Amino acid sequence: MKVSYQWLCEVVDIRDVAPEALAARLTSAGLAVDAVEPRVQGIRGVVVGEVVACAQHPNADRLKVCEVRVSEAEAPLTIVCGAPNVAAGQRVPVATVGAMLPGGPIGRARLRGVESCGMLCSAAEIGLETRLLPKEQTEGLYILPADAPIGADVVAYLHLDDVVLDIDLTPNRSDCLSIRGLAYEIAALYGREVRLAAPSLAASGQPSPVTVRLETDGCPRYDARVLEGLNDGPSPIWMQMRLLAMGVRPIGCIVDVTNYVMLEWGQPLHAFDLDQVHDRTIVVRQAEEGEELVTLDGIPRRLSADTIVIADPDRAIGIAGVMGGANSEIRSGTRRVILESAVFHAASVRRTGQRLGLRSEAQQRFEKGVDPVAVRAALDRAASLYTELAGGMLVGDAVSVRRGAPVDAEGEQIVEFDPLRCRGLLGADVADEQILQVFDALGFTTDRSSAVWRVTVPTRRPDITREADLVEEVARMVGYDQIPSTLPQGATTAGVLTRAQQMQRVTRHTLVGCGMMEVFTYAFTHPSQLDALRIAEDDPLRRTIPLARPMSDDRTVLRTHLLPSLAQVAAYNLAHGNPGAGVFEIARVYVPNGLPLTEQPEERVQWAGLWFGQVPQRVGERARPYDFFDAKGVIEAWLEALGCRGQAEFQRTEKPWYHPGRSAEVVVDGRSVGTFGQLHPQTAEHLDVPANTLYAEFGLEKIAALSHPTLRVNPLPRFPMSLRDLAVVVRSTVAVADLVHAAKAAADRIEPGVLESCQLFDVYRGAGIPEGKVSLAFSFVYRAADRTLTDAEVTNLEHAVLDAWKDAFQAELRQ
Amino acid sequence: MDINQIERELQTLGETAIAALEAAADLRELDEWRVEYLGKKSRLTGISREMGQLPPDERPVLGERVNALRGHLTTAFENRARQLQQEALARRLGAERIDITMPGRPHPLGAVHPITRVIEEIEDVFLGMGFQIAEGPEVETDEYNFERLNLPKDHPARDMQDTFYLTDTLLMRTHTSPMQVRTMERMRPHAPVKVIVPGRVYRRDEDDATHSHAFTQIEGLVVDRGIRMSDLKGVLEQFAKAVFGPDQAVRLRPSYFPFTEPSAEVDIRCVHCGGAGCRVCKQTGWIEILGAGMVHPFVLDLAGYDSRVFSGFAFGMGPERIAMLKYGIDDIRLLYQNDLRLLQQFTRVVG
Repeated sequence: MKVSYQWLCEVVDIRDVAPEALAARLTSAGLAVDAVEPRVQGIRGVVVGEVVACAQHPNADRLKVCEVRVSEAEAPLTIVCGAPNVAAGQRVPVATVGAMLPGGPIGRARLRGVESCGMLCSAAEIGLETRLLPKEQTEGLYILPADAPIGADVVAYLHLDDVVLDIDLTPNRSDCLSIRGLAYEIAALYGREVRLAAPSLAASGQPSPVTVRLETDGCPRYDARVLEGLNDGPSPIWMQMRLLAMGVRPIGCIVDVTNYVMLEWGQPLHAFDLDQVHDRTIVVRQAEEGEELVTLDGIPRRLSADTIVIADPDRAIGIAGVMGGANSEIRSGTRRVILESAVFHAASVRRTGQRLGLRSEAQQRFEKGVDPVAVRAALDRAASLYTELAGGMLVGDAVSVRRGAPVDAEGEQIVEFDPLRCRGLLGADVADEQILQVFDALGFTTDRSSAVWRVTVPTRRPDITREADLVEEVARMVGYDQIPSTLPQGATTAGVLTRAQQMQRVTRHTLVGCGMMEVFTYAFTHPSQLDALRIAEDDPLRRTIPLARPMSDDRTVLRTHLLPSLAQVAAYNLAHGNPGAGVFEIARVYVPNGLPLTEQPEERVQWAGLWFGQVPQRVGERARPYDFFDAKGVIEAWLEALGCRGQAEFQRTEKPWYHPGRSAEVVVDGRSVGTFGQLHPQTAEHLDVPANTLYAEFGLEKIAALSHPTLRVNPLPRFPMSLRDLAVVVRSTVAVADLVHAAKAAADRIEPGVLESCQLFDVYRGAGIPEGKVSLAFSFVYRAADRTLTDAEVTNLEHAVLDAWKDAFQAELRQ
Repeated sequence: MDINQIERELQTLGETAIAALEAAADLRELDEWRVEYLGKKSRLTGISREMGQLPPDERPVLGERVNALRGHLTTAFENRARQLQQEALARRLGAERIDITMPGRPHPLGAVHPITRVIEEIEDVFLGMGFQIAEGPEVETDEYNFERLNLPKDHPARDMQDTFYLTDTLLMRTHTSPMQVRTMERMRPHAPVKVIVPGRVYRRDEDDATHSHAFTQIEGLVVDRGIRMSDLKGVLEQFAKAVFGPDQAVRLRPSYFPFTEPSAEVDIRCVHCGGAGCRVCKQTGWIEILGAGMVHPFVLDLAGYDSRVFSGFAFGMGPERIAMLKYGIDDIRLLYQNDLRLLQQFTRVVG
């Protein structure tokens, strides 16, 4: 909220506190001041002048030569002016020779042969808030009121030297959405008095000409007054300037007064044209479902039954707490008004505003709750301003109608407060007397007759309802810097990661150790992204959870699959000149138990990897694209890190987004934990990534359950190993894993465990090897636990392996 | 035979041999020299044989001369051999010289994403202070995300967090705070709580340099008998020192969150100027880093912890903001762009 420093100073005397110092103090008390800005800066020597004569410039069609009086004593100045609206008799801001304007200094100048001793100014030239002024005041000269004193300094006259504090109020401090509330806060902080009395209007004893009927609980109180004889002119210049400084558009005196009093007291007011209100009867009721009303901004609104409306017996004339109706608005010629000051149900006002997309100043105050004490005070303040400034005359006394629980000063809260508990909660040694001073300064009254105090909180502070709220008041007034630093004194606990958390960390750091880059992608996606996966229309992956109101067309649902997100990362990086990389993400996919969604979905934590483009090149080596075995190597390392490699088997998978011949499912202890492989060419094309791109996805919860939590070392072998190499030629369809299994089985039949390892070390196709066959070379390690194997024993084992391979795979020993 | 003649010959032989030794350029020539001057067919061996023809009284004299010369030549030979071996080694090493400025064979390094890097760092700080780590659902109920946190429907404070709803009652969590309630509810009655909750959260904010519709948070919660606001300050001070350096300090400013009372914004000393005042900290010397406060009694009571007996503090911080401050990143979108040119800078582990 923008606040006028000068206005504040009038209500609480802080002229000795510089605006910057005030801002710092308010910020440290919890009212964060975002900016302290002079209303207008850099103006000097601009005075009120009267245009006594205005003649056409002899040499220029668009210029006028004016005689302008800027002092009662001296002769008028000759000033050349190009504004179309200049006319004799006007009072205008005059920048005399030597004056400073935000645009620069003003000197003597000859304009087409006529010497000009200064400049007549527009609103923009003297820095007024042109955004808030009506068009006719921003085009051409800024015309001052006819009673503006000639020769007066415009800076003082228009309060251009005011300073505006921009306060970022938290939602609980609705009381500070007014000069009055801020004044109480500042008075408490500096130990000053608030000088803002509720006006008292003498009662006439005459009944009000207006009848008010409350037909809904949404309006617990409605006060109103009728005034007549109002003139429809502008409000006084000082009022306009205060409205401008606080960011409110001046319109005309009748409306300006309601806004001015709202800023002053925090109570929104509304003025209806009495002559447009049928039967002089105000009815506050719920709207009919679908009822229409054209609001002040000229827009027809369809209302719902949840909306509270102000109506006359025939039709709605305003949306309660949000915006008035066009049919009863103040217009030029309005002479008689009904002035409303009421309380409306906060949540209902908020819902209505949200539904209509409106956020009026009134609404912002009603939805946070208004001070019942201010209801009558604001009404009477506005009524007396009407009589002072607009010639208004009161007709009858105020009407005040209530419904339901009383809404007035009796609504004061009494809050129990234990100073011991306050000190305990803060960990700060704040003395009773100090606490008492805080409550006094805030205008709370304290009953200390028992150990637990009873603190009476005025109605202007609806945010304070319980002890913790009072503790905060104490802390912020004493200063949070008075709270020392301590550490919790309970039993010491050990902070340890759960198994699932360890799994995530091991996974992340193993993959990073394999050279992969972790990425972070969004959970929101578009269902069409799944088309690339080549899955059926009724595939469970298609059951995505939609957002009720997405912010963009390409992020409308929660993802069920991580491939499209990672493919976007690949496409982006390839387009930006990166030759390739392995990337991964640990993230969730969202699996609904049913659609439409009725309960929280299952959120599965996965890691997904993508290898795209070229493998980082080494000096002297040829560049090559990533292939299946790059991915498999990483996955084997990951399984190794988790202690699952020994139990893992690689089987073919039929997931449709993979190349059927170059993809695998990883099965650990008989349970599938994930899949990986080269993308299906159609998937790759659809995702706009190269055909050789590889993808992997693994469920972290699944593998966590299978990984063995303990590591036990094997003793070092006591007897030497025997190394043998063997190269065989087999059909190229024979799987290496099957050869290894068969070798182990054959050796085990002779002596269990004697074949320690059997590893492929060379693959050869080409000259000397028949078409459709392949030469595979293995390195065997034989070792017995209890003796050194003899040559004869090893040769026997080797023959057994070869025989098994010949039988099962028609393997031939390579010559 | 004349002894004098032989002595002259030995003299000459010695001089010739030394000259020839010095002329031997490599180990092969050296070996030829050894055969010629010290071998069985060498002149020196010949002279030894011929000594028998000398009168007995002259033999010892000449024998001594011959032995002296053989000793001299043998020593000279060994020295020369060592010298040549060293020269040969030096030549080989010279030939084996490589360009050490050529790049090493790369061992490709991966990198942890800066957001998770910061989260892990913060997790470790709080693990060290005895906190547990918990995770919670990203799809939350309105009840847990708002109502049980003292944010009833139609409360104006809901404006602080514009929400992605899935249905009337289910939404993408706007903060990790619902885990305050879920954690307390999960504890056996009245057990002390000391937990942090990292995770993704979502808000209907337009993506720009400082906002993202999806980001991460770390929630902290401590509940026990006798927990004080000063404990909050102390714990956060430890955190700030661990993450931003030992000279750090924290400052609490009053603020408002519906689920804490009293509430605070927490500042640390500006990481750019160290507190002297600069453009980044708007000359204040402090920068806001997180929100915190004492758990609101409404929240405690609803979660089964009697607020007359228990108290607690809670805080919530944004790993993105911390990463941006730590690494000098000025646009939050860079963290979600996944540009490898940025991510590769995090192969550096220290920092």
